[in-house]
Amino acid sequence: MINRSLAERRSDKVIECDINGQPISLDVPPTRRLLTILRDDLQMTGTKVSCEIGRCGACMVLVDGQQVNSCLTMAYQCEGKKITTIEGLSQAEIDPIQQCFLEEGGYQCGYCTPGMIISVKALLSHNPEPSTEDIEEALSGNLCRCTGYGGIVRSVQKAVQLRRDSS
Amino acid sequence: MALNKTTSGGRWRIRPDGPEKVTGKLAYLTDMSRDGMLVGRVLRSPHPHAGIVSIHTEKAKRIPGVHAVITHADIPGMNRFGIVNPDQPVLCEDRVRYIGDAVAAVAAETPEIAAQALESIEVEYVVLPVVDDPVKAQTKQAPKLHPGGNVLHRNQYGYGEVTSGFAGCTHIVEETYLTPRQMHTYMETEGGLFIPEEGGRLTVYSPTQHGYKDRMQLARILGLPEFNIRVVSSPIGGSFGGKDELNVQPYGALLALVTGRPVKIHNSRWESVRAGLKRHPMRIAMKTGVDDSGRILAHQVSIVADTGAYATLGAEVLNFAIEHVTGPYRYDSVEVEGVSVYTNNGVSGEFRGFGGNQAIFALEGQMDRLAEKLGQDPWEFRLMNMRKPEDPGPLGQTIVRTDGAMQVWKSLAGSSMWLDRQDRITDNPWLRKGTGAAFVMHGSGLGFGIPDPAGGMLALAEDGKIEAIFGYEEFGQGLIATLELMLIEQFGFGTEDIRIVIGDTDLVPHSGSSTASRATSMMWKSLQKLRGPFLDRMLDEASKLLSLPTESLRVGTGGIWNRSGEHLLLTYGQLAQGVQEEIRFQTHFPFPASPTKRIGAHYLYTYSAVAVEVEVNVLTGRVKVLKQYHAVAAGPVMNPQGFLGQIEGGSGMAVGFALSEDSVMDSGVYLTRNLDTYMIPTYTDLNGEIEVHAIEDLPEDDEHGPRGVGEIGSVGVAPAIAAAVYHATGKRISKLPIDPESLQEVPDFLVKAVSRP
Repeated sequence: MINRSLAERRSDKVIECDINGQPISLDVPPTRRLLTILRDDLQMTGTKVSCEIGRCGACMVLVDGQQVNSCLTMAYQCEGKKITTIEGLSQAEIDPIQQCFLEEGGYQCGYCTPGMIISVKALLSHNPEPSTEDIEEALSGNLCRCTGYGGIVRSVQKAVQLRRDSS
Repeated sequence: MALNKTTSGGRWRIRPDGPEKVTGKLAYLTDMSRDGMLVGRVLRSPHPHAGIVSIHTEKAKRIPGVHAVITHADIPGMNRFGIVNPDQPVLCEDRVRYIGDAVAAVAAETPEIAAQALESIEVEYVVLPVVDDPVKAQTKQAPKLHPGGNVLHRNQYGYGEVTSGFAGCTHIVEETYLTPRQMHTYMETEGGLFIPEEGGRLTVYSPTQHGYKDRMQLARILGLPEFNIRVVSSPIGGSFGGKDELNVQPYGALLALVTGRPVKIHNSRWESVRAGLKRHPMRIAMKTGVDDSGRILAHQVSIVADTGAYATLGAEVLNFAIEHVTGPYRYDSVEVEGVSVYTNNGVSGEFRGFGGNQAIFALEGQMDRLAEKLGQDPWEFRLMNMRKPEDPGPLGQTIVRTDGAMQVWKSLAGSSMWLDRQDRITDNPWLRKGTGAAFVMHGSGLGFGIPDPAGGMLALAEDGKIEAIFGYEEFGQGLIATLELMLIEQFGFGTEDIRIVIGDTDLVPHSGSSTASRATSMMWKSLQKLRGPFLDRMLDEASKLLSLPTESLRVGTGGIWNRSGEHLLLTYGQLAQGVQEEIRFQTHFPFPASPTKRIGAHYLYTYSAVAVEVEVNVLTGRVKVLKQYHAVAAGPVMNPQGFLGQIEGGSGMAVGFALSEDSVMDSGVYLTRNLDTYMIPTYTDLNGEIEVHAIEDLPEDDEHGPRGVGEIGSVGVAPAIAAAVYHATGKRISKLPIDPESLQEVPDFLVKAVSRP
């Protein structure tokens, strides 16, 4: 849900980008954090806030397909970029990665889950046959405190398998 | 049989709260906002210990956009909180006792203005000497942190005569075990939204593990009748005990009432670290002796727990540790004493395992050391000293009899991981493998003498939904999914027929807390009690509406069916519309308690045996957990995905407790302020194999059903890792987290290279 009245305010410092397929103009200070823009300005709270120093990955989003901590991304860095949040992954139908997390129980409290799924999405988009080390690296910036990662390991393995089977 | 998705078949289900969690649609309470809401912030003490000379808020109040600045003078009711022992000031009057103590709070239009307001509050402090050592804190020279001195609680237990017991011992092991200040590290930090309502009511949207307890504490602070406060407390982004006590709620509530506007507070990670609870660091000295056959003649324990600045549940945690330092073993004589001591080291409190983690790490360390002295296999040594099913509990109390101890012992003894453990050799000379095991019994419920109510409600709502209404909380453990599965399996309802209502004091009955591995047991027991009356009444009403005998009807998916299940005769919607009087049944009962009158003594126990295989890199000193085996005897599995998740997740926390986690403090000041220095396990640390075996058999006459599993996965892993590290390296571990430096070696090939002439 994008707040149009905010998005349509114009000034000479307006930042143009694309969020989940919708072009948007952001009239915000250039140093405003993408995390704050998403959660507070646009009320898109699927992106979570936790450590705010780029360690935990709860705020992970895709910027031009790359996984990025939105707490470390400033508004000016979004100029001309395509930003995908967790809300953007399931606009038409649920993403197969999300389905794998559902079926394997790759979440408990769910607070790390949006960021975790975004990181898996980034990994599999670029590397459909990741090695164990590739997965470890891709998820090294996403912390989960509930699952002990057991369900997450199984969800990722299933997502890789699913992609293999469908290609 | 291993518990997993395949072996669970159709019982492995997608959680009802899953779709909203994986799509980001679920609004956590800290995601909420309201038009016109203000931002709340708390001014916290920069000193671990100081006197407050004066507090001036005038400058802060004059800042445009600041709507309220409050201090202790603005608290209408009791300026204290604490679940059992309210000794913590909501806003400090004349003294601060830890680096997170709250002094003032502000409500402002933006976070920036709120931050500016905090900086503009002028507090004059006189810095006082810091009490940072719980042993020194007990000396006469130490500054007194509370009117009663620095001892929060002292307790002991014993039987037999340890002095003569030790005199008869062939081998005695004496060791002191140290455990870290572990942080809960829920991913969602504390926060919430506080809304003043029409008619003087207040709605609190803020996570807690016991909504009614928060309501009681808030009413006390605000000087309001409890009914004037509605606490909405789920869903929660993790808690693990850490959100059981009040955290931001008093400030949000006070600011909302003072300003008449909605107020949102959401802690930064650093504020969460400095203000929040931690696991009690404990120093546990043990002396344990055996005769030459290996029978334990004497076991002497002394526990010192660092409870920090305020009580919260520090006394109860110590009692739990005292109960759990003897474990599933028999002794000729036991002498346990413990003390929980106030310091200026933050605040320690309730945390998954509740003192069991520390106690069992120490106890199992003793068992391994004794077995080695005797030249016995450590697992066989445990068998020889194992409790019998009919034995009393660890405090001499009557406990519910099960064969859990022997069941889990045998499961581990027969596991391939344990049987194949001899192979320590790896291809790389700097990598060593080892396997270790631990044996655990862990109590559930709050224990004798502590109010421990339980219960719930079933109703057929007007729209035809069957409502299960409980005062429990969903913080990720899967309570909603477990309740749903119980209603499907035990009542025959369909998924679509059910509506689960939890976490809202305006809607739910008193069910007690979602703590102490108790909620699943109590939901099961509630449904056992409600099932007969609820189904009978539904069939009676259906029989009247259909003019058919009740014997010809049964409850099923979608409504009332004919007995053989071919025809749906009446939907639940039609039934709800047809009844004269609402179908609603409530039950209320206490958590089962031991008849033995010892405060805190537990009646229901879960048993577990844990084996882990580790790989130690002796160049770096780093330990990696490769494999885990958990045998858990906790009665019937109510929800396989939830059960597995609790054991895996609890175990993951315990790996952190053993290997990497410690909130490091220097003179009462946190040095680990965020997740870059406070190291919880990552994906790479925990992607080894883990096998969970649920042993479901209970004695035929057992009436207590499923036992709790929320904590058992987190208490046996650390001692098993310590044993595995010893197996791999020959080095005994007595302090957690394991210091990598202590495991580093100069390997043979380096020695050779250097010493070549």
